[in-house]
Amino acid sequence: MRGTSGDGAAGPELGLGLSEVGEYAVISVTGEIDMYTAPQLREAVRQLASEGRMRVAIDLTPTEFCDSTGLGVLIGARRRLSDSGGSLVVVCANPRIRKLLDLTGLDKVLDVREAVPGE
Amino acid sequence: MNGSKHDRAGGRAEPATVRFAFTPAAAYVRAARLVAADVAAHAGVATGLLDEVRQAVGEACTRAVLRHRDRGIEDLVRVEFAIGDRFVARITDNAQELRARPSGGFGVNAGRGDARANDHDTLEEDTLSEEITLIVLGGLVEDLVVTGPDANGGTTVSMSWPLPGSGSAADH
Repeated sequence: MRGTSGDGAAGPELGLGLSEVGEYAVISVTGEIDMYTAPQLREAVRQLASEGRMRVAIDLTPTEFCDSTGLGVLIGARRRLSDSGGSLVVVCANPRIRKLLDLTGLDKVLDVREAVPGE
Repeated sequence: MNGSKHDRAGGRAEPATVRFAFTPAAAYVRAARLVAADVAAHAGVATGLLDEVRQAVGEACTRAVLRHRDRGIEDLVRVEFAIGDRFVARITDNAQELRARPSGGFGVNAGRGDARANDHDTLEEDTLSEEITLIVLGGLVEDLVVTGPDANGGTTVSMSWPLPGSGSAADH
């Protein structure tokens, strides 16, 4: 998927792969998460929640780049799912993004794991 | 874009500047961070620091776009890279207010139970993101200064990284 803005500018690429592992719906994210592509990830979580899939894992291990907008989406997703009795797991064995989670303290706010539970 | 070739291979190089501005839209933030990494590499910033430059400039540009978008400002976001003793990046917005609305910080609010509409969620995530950009920048960049807003404009995020041959590079 290549993003294109209304004025034709090429944006970053984001790939969202959906799968199921145990009781988790897994969104595997490839490419770059930034303020241009983050709404797609936000919408994917909303879509799963609207289908009653309240246990969601977002796999950032294959993600090439993530900025603070992506972190904002993770926080929002966690809150929405928790409010509905569900949960969010962030899967990240990617040292660059782990560093980002660590330096913002989000590794303590979010449920960050090396693999999807049950995998 | 104003730029000049900068070759550090032959000893102490001449100062150089790359300067551009972009419409405050999400699609252009990637371009800005890629230019930052490319100019930094050309300037001689250590390969191991290029990801940091890319992330930091992206964060600063994201913050600027959010600040413009939040306040309905269509002015261009200004970006400048200066190559001298160090590689310096400056990202300037034109939003004079420091913050549009109060927020309690993501760590405190992340688990709140009150329901919100989707649009409100998006706005809140944007506000969170503006705050997180500064947290990321503070954790990522050793030499970081945020100035403004002042009577003449918005805020400027200034960051610098060492270059080979500069005195500060010896520290790294």
